[in-house]
Amino acid sequence: MAEPEAKEEISDEDLVARTQGGDPRAFDVLVRKYSSRLYGLVYNMTSNHEDTNDLLQDIFSKAYRSIKGFRGKSSFYTWLHTIATNMTINFLKKRSRNYRMSLDDVDSGVHNDPEFIELTSGPDARREVNLKELQQRLNEAMMKLSNEHRAVVTMFDIQGMPHAEIGKILGISEGTVRSRLFYAHRQLQNYLQEFLAA
Amino acid sequence: MNKDVHKLLQIKRYEMPSSDYFERFLDEFHDRQRADLINRPTLHIFFERLMSFFPDFQVPRLAYAGVAVAAVLFSATILSSQKEAEPARSFALNSPAVDVLPVSQGAQRLPLSMRADLPPHYVLETRPVSYETPYSF
Repeated sequence: MAEPEAKEEISDEDLVARTQGGDPRAFDVLVRKYSSRLYGLVYNMTSNHEDTNDLLQDIFSKAYRSIKGFRGKSSFYTWLHTIATNMTINFLKKRSRNYRMSLDDVDSGVHNDPEFIELTSGPDARREVNLKELQQRLNEAMMKLSNEHRAVVTMFDIQGMPHAEIGKILGISEGTVRSRLFYAHRQLQNYLQEFLAA
Repeated sequence: MNKDVHKLLQIKRYEMPSSDYFERFLDEFHDRQRADLINRPTLHIFFERLMSFFPDFQVPRLAYAGVAVAAVLFSATILSSQKEAEPARSFALNSPAVDVLPVSQGAQRLPLSMRADLPPHYVLETRPVSYETPYSF
C-alpha cells in the first residue's frame, strides 16, 4: 500500500514550528534538506572541505540553538543562509592566509556537465584544459576576491540565487549586490584570462 | 554580467562530496550536539536561551565606550577617596599622628623604626640575606 503522507513535502514553516515546540526530528529534516546547499555555499567561500565540514556542523548547531528566537520575519531559508554567511565570513577573518585546498573528493559528475563539455571540447584553447587544474585555478581566483565579493559570486554564479535574495541574506541593497558582482567578475576575468580566451 | 565568467564558475557546483557524506553528516551532528550539551557551562546555556528571546537586541557600540568611561571615573573616585582617608605618615618626633598611640601600650609593639619614643633609626636592624656570602668555606 502506498504511503502518500510520508512522501508529502512538509513546509519549512511547519518544520520550524515543530522544532520550536520541542521536536528535534523536525530539525533533522531541515538539516537533510539544506546541508547539501549550505555545503556548496561554505565550501566555495573557504575552498577547503575539512573547514567546510566543521563550519557546517557549527552553523546547524547555532541554528538549532537560536531557532526559538526565529520569528518568521524572513523565510527560514534566508535566515539559515544569513547565519551561514556571517559565520563563514567570521571564520575566514580569523583563518590565516595560508589556506589549504582540498580537491580530492571532488564529485566526478562534472564530466557529464554540458557546461564543462562545452568548455573542454571546443576547437579553441580550452580543449586541453585539465579538470583538476581548472578547479585549482578557479579556487585560487575565488580566494583572491574579498570575503564579501566571494560571498556574492558564490550565491549568484554558483548557487544561482536571485539578486534580491542575496541582498536579503547579506543585508545589502540589490544595487550593491550588482556592483559587487560587476567588480568581482572583472577581477575574475583577469585571473582566468587563459580559460576564457575563445 | 560577464557570461563567460558566469559559465566557468558554474563548474564549481560539482565540487561536492558524495551522498554518503550527507548521510553521515546528520549522525555527526547528533554526536556533536550531545557533546555540546555535556561540555557547555550552565551559565552559557542560560545566557544563550535568554538572548534567543531577544534576537533583535544589540548593544549599541557607544555603550561600550560609556561603560569604559564610567569604570575609569569610578576607579579614580575610589582611589582619590582612599588617599584622602589615609593618615599622613610622618616619622617626625613632633608629628601629631605619632601621639595617637600611647607609648606604654601600642608603641611597644611597633617595630623599632616606627616607635616615637626612640630617636630616628636609619640603620638596618638585620643584615640583608643577599649580603651574605653564598658559600661558607
